[in-house]
Amino acid sequence: MNNKFFPNFWRFFGLVAVQVLLLKQLTVSLGAYFNILLYPLFIFLLPTQLATPYVVLLGFSVGLTVDFFYASIGVHASAGAFAGFFRFLLFSAFAPKGGYSGKEPIFSPAHMGWSLYLQVSAWFFLAHLFWYFSVDDFTIVYFGTVTLKTIAGWVLTMIFVWLYTAMFNPKN
Amino acid sequence: MGKILQLLLRNGGFVTLVLVEAFCFFIIVQFNEKQNAIFTHTAGLFAGRMLERRQQFSDYIGLKDRIDSLTNVNAQLQTDLANARIVKFPHRDTSFIALFDSLNRTDSVRRKVMRPLYEYYTATVIGNSISSANNWLMINRGSADHIAPNMAVVTNNGIIGIVRHVDDHFSMVMSVLHRQTKISAALTKYNAFGSLIWEGGDPSVMTLKYIPKHFDVKVGDEVVTSGFSQMFPRKLLVGHVDGDIGQDPENPYFLIMKVRLSQDMATVGDVYVVRNLFQPEQDSLQVKVRNEQ
Repeated sequence: MNNKFFPNFWRFFGLVAVQVLLLKQLTVSLGAYFNILLYPLFIFLLPTQLATPYVVLLGFSVGLTVDFFYASIGVHASAGAFAGFFRFLLFSAFAPKGGYSGKEPIFSPAHMGWSLYLQVSAWFFLAHLFWYFSVDDFTIVYFGTVTLKTIAGWVLTMIFVWLYTAMFNPKN
Repeated sequence: MGKILQLLLRNGGFVTLVLVEAFCFFIIVQFNEKQNAIFTHTAGLFAGRMLERRQQFSDYIGLKDRIDSLTNVNAQLQTDLANARIVKFPHRDTSFIALFDSLNRTDSVRRKVMRPLYEYYTATVIGNSISSANNWLMINRGSADHIAPNMAVVTNNGIIGIVRHVDDHFSMVMSVLHRQTKISAALTKYNAFGSLIWEGGDPSVMTLKYIPKHFDVKVGDEVVTSGFSQMFPRKLLVGHVDGDIGQDPENPYFLIMKVRLSQDMATVGDVYVVRNLFQPEQDSLQVKVRNEQ
């Protein structure tokens, strides 16, 4: 229990802290098109065998926590919940033969290899960012802007995803 | 709470996602000014469109009532038109009263001299025959709707017949296509009047008799009601002279001719029943004359 709970517990607070203390300031200085959203990595690194409804609810929780600091109640929460469900689709598509077992407690390079990790996380963050910017703009009128923001934010976010993973190399 | 969680687990992540997203949508609109403004605007547009659709639908549903209402207005206008044609106009410094067609007068004169003579009631034909020797129509108005025997039945296109039998809610109308029909009609061109009868056969043609033979009647001449029958108002279109103009074999001093009816008797739908407000008075006068003959 502790083996699974505490790493995720600390990851929750660590990633939220990095997001609101560092990345938020970085986005403010870079401009609206360079939005770096690293906190969904918490959702991505949740245990692979955790039931999807829990993942969706935890995605909602981490998003709502970030929302309090961004003064955007519900926007990150919505994107977090969506990312939780999208993770289930991605993990199903990239599941190892026979499904996930105790050998792959989380979807990290330590268990899945760097190539697969970056490939799956790239799709994950792309979907999360697109959903986030769509909900943020709240209209299909700005579809072009949403796409541009998604691509720009995704490139930067993926750099931070790689940095974080290389630094901490999460195993649980 | 535990039960809800169990329900969500059983039904999978998608249901959870839908519920959570619905809640997110609610709080986004509630707590974010930008999204709230967009939502309010979009909801306004949507509601506007829905209201427009609903209005179009209710307009369509209400068409029958509107048609009824317009038919009633039309009946009122027909009443006014008929009454406007028959007005009594006192000659100055005399005790004579002359009839004038007030439509040729100014409005101010018409207002002074008009006296209502006819009332029009709307009705719908619910039974009709044209192939018998004596034809009848049934209309959906009766004594409860002020219909009484000997009222004329007309349409915008021509004459239809005369009310003969009246029940509470229905009436039988003797069609113009009836052997006993005899309507006073006139040729507009000469103001010469005669009697219109139906001799059977073609349901679109009647016979006009008793037009004095010195009138040079031509095919196509307009035939209207003369207004002498007390039932039909003046100048209602009856039809046009169709041919067979010749000397009446029964009375050599008069002409006889075929008249093609302007109203197709096979397609009669909505009709007006015309009430002559002075018919009892006129009838009693005629009885006096009849007694002296």
